[in-house]
Amino acid sequence: MIFHSLDFIAFFVIVVALYWSVPRRWQNVLLVVASYLFYGYVHPWFLILIAASTVIDYGAARGMESWPDRRRWFLGLSVVSNFGMLGFFKYFNFFAENVAAALASLGLAVSEPTLRILLPVGISFYTFQAMSYTIDVYRGELRARRSLLDLAVFVSFFPHLVAGPIQRASFLLPQVEGPRRFSLERARSGFVLIGWGFFKKLVIADNVGVIANKVFALADPTFYILWAGVFAFAIQIYADFSAYTDIARGTSRWLGFELTQNFDHPYLAASPADFWRRWNISLSTWFRDYVYIPLGGSHGSRWLWIRNVLVTFLLSGFWHGASWNYVLWGAYHGVLLVLTRGRGRALSDPLQWRVVPRIAAMFALTLIGWLLFRETELAAIVRDLRLSPFGVSELDRQTGVYLFLLAFLYSVPVWIQSVWAELHRGVRVASDVEGALPAWPALAFQGLACGVAFATILVLRSRTSLDFIYFQF
Amino acid sequence: MATRVRAAVGLLTLVLIAVLTPALVPVLNRWHSAQPLAPTYLPALEGPRERSPFEETRVPDLQHLNPGFVVIGDSMAGTRVDERRMGELAGTPVAPLLQAGSGSAFWYLALKNWVIASGIKPRLVMVFFRDTNLTDVMFRLDQQFRWTLDLVALEREEELNGVIAGRVGPLHRAQTFVGRWSEAEEARHWIEPALLRLPAEWMIGSRRRRIEFLDAMNVRLGFDHLRPMPAADIQIGDAPAFDFARDVDRSVLPLMLRDASREGLTLCFVRVQRRPLPNGPPAQSPALIAYVNALREYLTSRGAILHDDTGDPALTLEMYADGDHLARHARRAYTEHFFNGLRLHLQ
Repeated sequence: MIFHSLDFIAFFVIVVALYWSVPRRWQNVLLVVASYLFYGYVHPWFLILIAASTVIDYGAARGMESWPDRRRWFLGLSVVSNFGMLGFFKYFNFFAENVAAALASLGLAVSEPTLRILLPVGISFYTFQAMSYTIDVYRGELRARRSLLDLAVFVSFFPHLVAGPIQRASFLLPQVEGPRRFSLERARSGFVLIGWGFFKKLVIADNVGVIANKVFALADPTFYILWAGVFAFAIQIYADFSAYTDIARGTSRWLGFELTQNFDHPYLAASPADFWRRWNISLSTWFRDYVYIPLGGSHGSRWLWIRNVLVTFLLSGFWHGASWNYVLWGAYHGVLLVLTRGRGRALSDPLQWRVVPRIAAMFALTLIGWLLFRETELAAIVRDLRLSPFGVSELDRQTGVYLFLLAFLYSVPVWIQSVWAELHRGVRVASDVEGALPAWPALAFQGLACGVAFATILVLRSRTSLDFIYFQF
Repeated sequence: MATRVRAAVGLLTLVLIAVLTPALVPVLNRWHSAQPLAPTYLPALEGPRERSPFEETRVPDLQHLNPGFVVIGDSMAGTRVDERRMGELAGTPVAPLLQAGSGSAFWYLALKNWVIASGIKPRLVMVFFRDTNLTDVMFRLDQQFRWTLDLVALEREEELNGVIAGRVGPLHRAQTFVGRWSEAEEARHWIEPALLRLPAEWMIGSRRRRIEFLDAMNVRLGFDHLRPMPAADIQIGDAPAFDFARDVDRSVLPLMLRDASREGLTLCFVRVQRRPLPNGPPAQSPALIAYVNALREYLTSRGAILHDDTGDPALTLEMYADGDHLARHARRAYTEHFFNGLRLHLQ
């Protein structure tokens, strides 16, 4: 089931109504049933995988506690089973193709086995989340849970199941286990987040996505057209992915849960390190805590640090998809981080005019990264990077400028929100405080803003409905 | 308690303002003097919207050509059939009624409003389709494709609307109601073009040059400049929907067979082969095979023909371009091969 469907809205209304009318002990049962219904709505066989991941990780964590001397063995079971599922469904064809190509280059022609099977959506997200649980238990940072039901809620919680944000067991499990109450304030803020999320997805992401798709479908793009398309894609992927996160966080609040923030206005980052503190935060912190730091982090020699950064980013790129361009994208960001030595503006620093050129430079570097991310054919990447701004026809130049301006026009609300948030960073408003109510004018303004968002969705939603980009990962 | 009541009133106020704000869209339309749009021919599916005109010239064109064969379909037929070559082989003109991005609703209306309306009596009317297209009336009825239907639809299409009404659920009806209530299409009718025009207005002062630029840009980004994509046009609706008995009476297939029978026309439904594997035909699930068997029985028992390309060893991967489309170089060979196969049905 997808968020931007009427089916989901009806499903969510029913779930919320039932959820708050059943006793507490039944709420988690209802959440698992609802989550499994949500996930298996189109392809029920997906449920076998998520159930298997849950049961194996439950057993592995319990095993670690019961037989501490075999902890490593149980951790291996969890990692192998999760990576096994991920590897089989997501990377099998990639490895088969590359092995066949390598053998062919040695003169050994083999017919590659091809797996004609659908990639289960969200598998990269929930396997990583489930593994964070077993790794934390292995490290002794978390105790193994006795309730399989609670763990099943943790793994399958439907608001963030398909595209994150990936939650840590230490953050979400206590919420699953603890008491919860319906908070009108959370519901209000959740409603605003959901409205903003739908607006970003249906009005911004899907409309600029049409521009990006059109440009990346061209056989003969020229410099200005290509980079206008890359800009459109940058807006699309941010609006799309952050919309999913906002809807996930908003719907969670209606169920009495809080999910971690996944984006912090990444296009206002002033350096690569700053960017990765703001973009897909849940994934980048996952890789930091479970790959980068275990590798040694920034301890040791500079060469070791460079190795650790590059390995982490290569794996992060590969996580996104079974294609070399994602690996290249990860490597590119790793190199950027190494070249800037991980330095960057602290998030708490206020936005000042003198930082603007650095923000613009970082945004330009990010665009190069998005070209590597969006363009799946390596030959096309090479061709694109060789395009020159000179000698382009007047029509192509004007077309590029037009597409850029159109994408920018659609993205104005996102830029305004980012700059506003950045200027007010660190300033706590009354409504941020749990239990506090915003003043009536603020409430009316929020209602009006949501209303304008809904009206704009009705009027300007793209005629081409696109899936959330991160569903494919 | 007072805080809780205040919070409840606050939430309710917020939701009410948010939900009622779209009611201002009609006010905006009046202020802008937006012209009310005519009701659609598919009220079960959508509210009033601007439509493209019905292509009525097709009717006299068909009468003038008086073809021996008519080919109806989407790009599957367009990339396969070379109508000139088929005409040479058949010794009679062939009329292609093709529309890229069309589905069974279009094909039904093309038969009714063009072929039957023209009064011609071809030997065969061929309809090209993939797998479950014929029983999935909703295929390519979403907004991005709906304009193609305008080309074949009259002012009212009661029977098609009835079929669609049986397919849309209460949620879709609620969405249509909200669309009508908020007059969203009327607003889109003037807001969207203004939005799309704005960057061009910033860039180019002269109105005439602006229009020329936008036309030239559309050509620059058009079909002729697209790269081939192996995965293109591969999606044909919900994959697990292989229940022929459930879907056939909720489709336009019975209407097509009835209308053709009334007019003494023979329909030949051509199931094209999807993109094959390097070493053989495309995989088919048992459910899909059962579906096609049921379709064959249904059609033949009603005097129609099913010609199935799937599994034909002559149709190899080398003949394909992107997705399920055949390559340009393979059109002639396919046409000749197809026509030879067709002879069996004509005897």
